[in-house]
Amino acid sequence: MPNVRKRGAGYKLQQIARNPFLYGMAVPGLLFFLIFSYFPIYGIMIAFKDYDFSKGITGSEWVGFRNFNYFFTSDDFWIILRNTLLLNVLFIIFTTVAAVLIALMFNEIRSKYFKRISQSLIFLPYFMSWIVIGMLVQSFLGGEAPPVNTLLQNLGFEPVNWMFESSLWPWILTVIRVWQGAGYLSIIFLAAITGISEDLYEAARIDGASKLQIMLRITLPLLVPTISIMTLLSVGKIFNGDFAMIYAIIGDNSLLYPTTDVIDTFVFRSMRQLHDFGMSSAVGLFQSVMGLIFVIIANAVTRKMSKESALF
Amino acid sequence: MKQTLSDRLFSFVAYAILMVFTIFCILPFLLMVIGSFTDESELIVNGYTLFPKAFSVAAYKALLHSDALYNGYGITIIITVVGTLTALCISAMLAYSLANKRNVLQTPFLLFCYLPMLFTGGIIPFYIVVSQWLHLQNTIWALILPLLCQPFLVFLLVSFFRTVPEELEEAARIDGANEMRVFFQIILPISKPILASVGLFYALYYWNDWFMGLMFIDNEKLFPLQLILRRMVSNMEAAKNLIPSSAAISTVVPTYGVRMATTVLTIGPIILLYPMLQKYFVKGLTVGAVKG
Repeated sequence: MPNVRKRGAGYKLQQIARNPFLYGMAVPGLLFFLIFSYFPIYGIMIAFKDYDFSKGITGSEWVGFRNFNYFFTSDDFWIILRNTLLLNVLFIIFTTVAAVLIALMFNEIRSKYFKRISQSLIFLPYFMSWIVIGMLVQSFLGGEAPPVNTLLQNLGFEPVNWMFESSLWPWILTVIRVWQGAGYLSIIFLAAITGISEDLYEAARIDGASKLQIMLRITLPLLVPTISIMTLLSVGKIFNGDFAMIYAIIGDNSLLYPTTDVIDTFVFRSMRQLHDFGMSSAVGLFQSVMGLIFVIIANAVTRKMSKESALF
Repeated sequence: MKQTLSDRLFSFVAYAILMVFTIFCILPFLLMVIGSFTDESELIVNGYTLFPKAFSVAAYKALLHSDALYNGYGITIIITVVGTLTALCISAMLAYSLANKRNVLQTPFLLFCYLPMLFTGGIIPFYIVVSQWLHLQNTIWALILPLLCQPFLVFLLVSFFRTVPEELEEAARIDGANEMRVFFQIILPISKPILASVGLFYALYYWNDWFMGLMFIDNEKLFPLQLILRRMVSNMEAAKNLIPSSAAISTVVPTYGVRMATTVLTIGPIILLYPMLQKYFVKGLTVGAVKG
């Protein structure tokens, strides 16, 4: 039976020739990834070159690890690395805790109308562009007399000069992040809670468990795999400062750089303002490699603890 | 079933927490919308309040004269419509091919599409590819092409197509339908819910994107709405410049109000469509949350 040998190259070619449309359909999508994802990977070699626009990628001179040295020994390196990691850790912890709490609370309430309306409203900030959010932040904290200060003064507090106080911004950004993302994340958790078998709840109720006990002993533990997958996904991006968010909110306010400048905003600035393509690429490469290593480590750790919680 | 006192207390706490968080989420929008209708002098003296003493539509009246805003709307609508339709088409075809069991190249294809989620070249090489190799800077294509395929959304489509029973396809093929007919006449019609939610996600990406504009567009004629708004975030004067000085408005341009009103107009379409679209988004997300 010649047809049984399914793995042969000849068989594959025959299959492809027989279903041209099935493979042809994938072509535009594959081309997209080739051009916009794989060509840039080829461009990584810029990190090892003294990039010159007129000479192009292949024509520019090799400089070994000079770009990396330059970056690793600069004072900025430790600051932006610390900011990137610190902000991401704050974002991940607070958004996850808030989202889990919201999902658990939604699971407890009975009123359908309240549930529907409240869900729609907390999901809304997720649909806004960071520019719109940046505008909101600017309107409430910026300007000569920030509205938030009027409120503070009415309550008897001292006004704060928000746009100068860099020490406050990790927390301000965390609040914004929770505001924007917790509702969205809670919907994913709520979907996971809906999947929990009703029998478990029934049994617990017969045993006389209180609502609080049911939540802590059944719902929360069964939610852990979903929580860990979502956290893993964010850990993979821990070296990517959220450029869209931070640049839209902080912009070019250099007074706030000490606590808010992250790898992505640093790369963007060195590219647009200093035209230092070599070093910017070196930083970008460092970021990609560290991100990849982090995903693999985090995944391995999760896999050890619980197989079903791992990503791959 | 009877509720104990502690259970009732617990429910009360649940309602209270959700109520507080809901108000926290919606309050900035309320203040902004009301702010855009508040008289400029009151905005400056009292800041944003939920119950302003003097209403005014001066900001919106001023914006009626802004050609830049009309232009921005035009650009944003074009990229959203063209981008979403093209993106949906490309992604659905790719996902169908990736999900099909008869595809002997399934594994390499999947790897090829998912690897970019884990490892990228970074923005510098990306910038060089788009501007130096493809020469897309200052064309509308720079706003459309780089966003055509989102791995996460392709992934949502693949998980959906995997759930379509194989027998359906086989039956059609036995009846003599070719691959193209199977896809367009059998698969697509039954995939409407997922196509709707993925399409909405793409539309949102296009409507809200400003990064491509920031990187590749210098020509103000090609500025999408988000970029016009970004200018006003970084520069107070930009709000005034939005209104041509020749425009026949008697009073001074209300700067704060114009900023608020532009923001409202930018998010307007989302807010208006939102009640209808929200259930699709939830459906799309739920599909994606199930591990594939």
